[in-house]
Amino acid sequence: MKYLFCNLEKCLGCKSCEIACALEHSRSKDLFQAVEEKPSPRYRLKVEYGKERAFPLACRHCDEPACVVACMSGCLSKDSKTGAVVQDEERCVGCWMCLMVCPYGAVNPDGERKLPLRCDRCREKEEPACVVACPTGALVFMEPEEFKKTVTRNSQPVTKKTS
Amino acid sequence: MNYLIIGNSAAGISGAEAIRKVDKTGKITMVSAEGYPPYSRCLLSYYLAGDIEEKKLLFRPEDFYEKNKIEVLLGKKVEKIEPEKKKVILAGKEEIAYDKLLIATGASPKLLNIKGEDRKGVFGLRTVEDVQNILQRLDKVKVAAVLGGGLIGLKAAYGLRKRGLRVKVIIKSNRVLSQMLDERAAAIFRKRIEENGIEVMTGLAAEEILADDGSVKGLKLDNGASVDCQLVVIGKGVTPNIDLVKGTAIKVSRGISVDEKQGTNISDIYAAGDVAETVDIVSGRTTINALWPCAVEQGRIAGYNMALRKSGEKAGEEHKYAGSIGMNSIEFFDLPVISIGITRPGEKGYEEVIRDIPEKGFYRKIVLRDNRIVGAILLGRINPAGVLLSLIRDKVDVSEIKDEIMEETFNYSRVVHLMKEEKISETDRLFNQMVG
Repeated sequence: MKYLFCNLEKCLGCKSCEIACALEHSRSKDLFQAVEEKPSPRYRLKVEYGKERAFPLACRHCDEPACVVACMSGCLSKDSKTGAVVQDEERCVGCWMCLMVCPYGAVNPDGERKLPLRCDRCREKEEPACVVACPTGALVFMEPEEFKKTVTRNSQPVTKKTS
Repeated sequence: MNYLIIGNSAAGISGAEAIRKVDKTGKITMVSAEGYPPYSRCLLSYYLAGDIEEKKLLFRPEDFYEKNKIEVLLGKKVEKIEPEKKKVILAGKEEIAYDKLLIATGASPKLLNIKGEDRKGVFGLRTVEDVQNILQRLDKVKVAAVLGGGLIGLKAAYGLRKRGLRVKVIIKSNRVLSQMLDERAAAIFRKRIEENGIEVMTGLAAEEILADDGSVKGLKLDNGASVDCQLVVIGKGVTPNIDLVKGTAIKVSRGISVDEKQGTNISDIYAAGDVAETVDIVSGRTTINALWPCAVEQGRIAGYNMALRKSGEKAGEEHKYAGSIGMNSIEFFDLPVISIGITRPGEKGYEEVIRDIPEKGFYRKIVLRDNRIVGAILLGRINPAGVLLSLIRDKVDVSEIKDEIMEETFNYSRVVHLMKEEKISETDRLFNQMVG
């Protein structure tokens, strides 16, 4: 199964991914029209900041997703074929239980629509919009084994204690 | 194998799903006193409010039983369990035998035991029927009183207010959501719901429900005052449905006592959900955390263990429950709040770190013991709640990031280096780039 990985050493924190994500999930898919849309198009992947580095964070589509267990409306499920955590937005009531239990804080609440937003890997697209938009090639959509090879073995583990 | 599940909600359904995952051919029977397909009680207030239609109460598709080859008996009440004969007895004396039994009977609203509680127009908020009955009565009601200011009480008040009624919430303690929130968060929350037309009366209890011709017409309060109302909703929390195990050898404390495999003291009998008493991760004591996520998880653990092959080629490993945590999430009138674990310590040995930014509608508090978080309140900006939950669950020492946690932008990347090695999966190591 492919995941959305980020080579943190290459990430500049430019947030091109956030814009591409919001745009991909807009109705018009056109930047100039999208900014006018109501409800406002929102991103599902967020560039968070560690002490020294940017850290793009999105739903990791866990093997045993806590959010699916916590979902009281039955709108979340784990797709047995694709491995993705799928959300039926029609059924969601915005109770935030999924957000409460996500160990990564990867659920973004859309206060306007009362919807917890999570990465849907741009559904049918070959490459998620954020990956296409990433100017440094930091974001990739890959199998774990494949990604492993791209990360330099000697690179500083960016999120690990440096002392 | 012949599995029997009593109960048809979160724990029962997830139990059935787990069994079916492991055992494709065993016979699964589910019995429920309610004559309704699997619906989510937590959504009842949304249905009451008119936010969702009735059919959206279902948290599994209508063909759920058929697809999972489950025989379901709806509208049948189990009266008695006979562990020594491995059978249960339904109302009307019908008997069902089992090899493995899951008790997932849930809980019922606590009663007040005051005069007039049996009058027409007095309801709980626990079943579809409750809501249907309330809705049918709405045209006769101008003022509704809600007894109890906890989660259920406030959810009921919200729903009734959305239906255009005048709503008065009568609360015995001095604040709303007293189990979930501290005084400050409760005050912010109270202000928001009052601004939206819900009247809150604290420090008061109903002594009697007054009726006219059998129907509710008001309340008499313990300060002598009376309140006119035509509908009363009781939201005082729930009590486990343990009647059917009384008089059996199944061990009961407040709820049914279970071990970490969700097994009772009687072999082949399991219990899960609001009826089961489990170990609370934060306090270390056994308690009932009557919460949806806990019920689903416990049901799943019970189901896996019931279907487990104990020997032979495909012998499986026992599933263990890590324990429950009291937590809840609620949003009314655009103000979300999440509460986890111990939020009002009230004893020595705890530290509280608080950040309160009224103009931003931001309030956050963590409660620590020995530099480990044991509780949290997040009001307004709730995003990192799950990150805090895992810090609580894994008892992570957060002494070096206490202040960072209070920042609005606090996020997962700030805690990765503190996480215990064994808690980080292989894939997560890649996500976090903990390689090299």
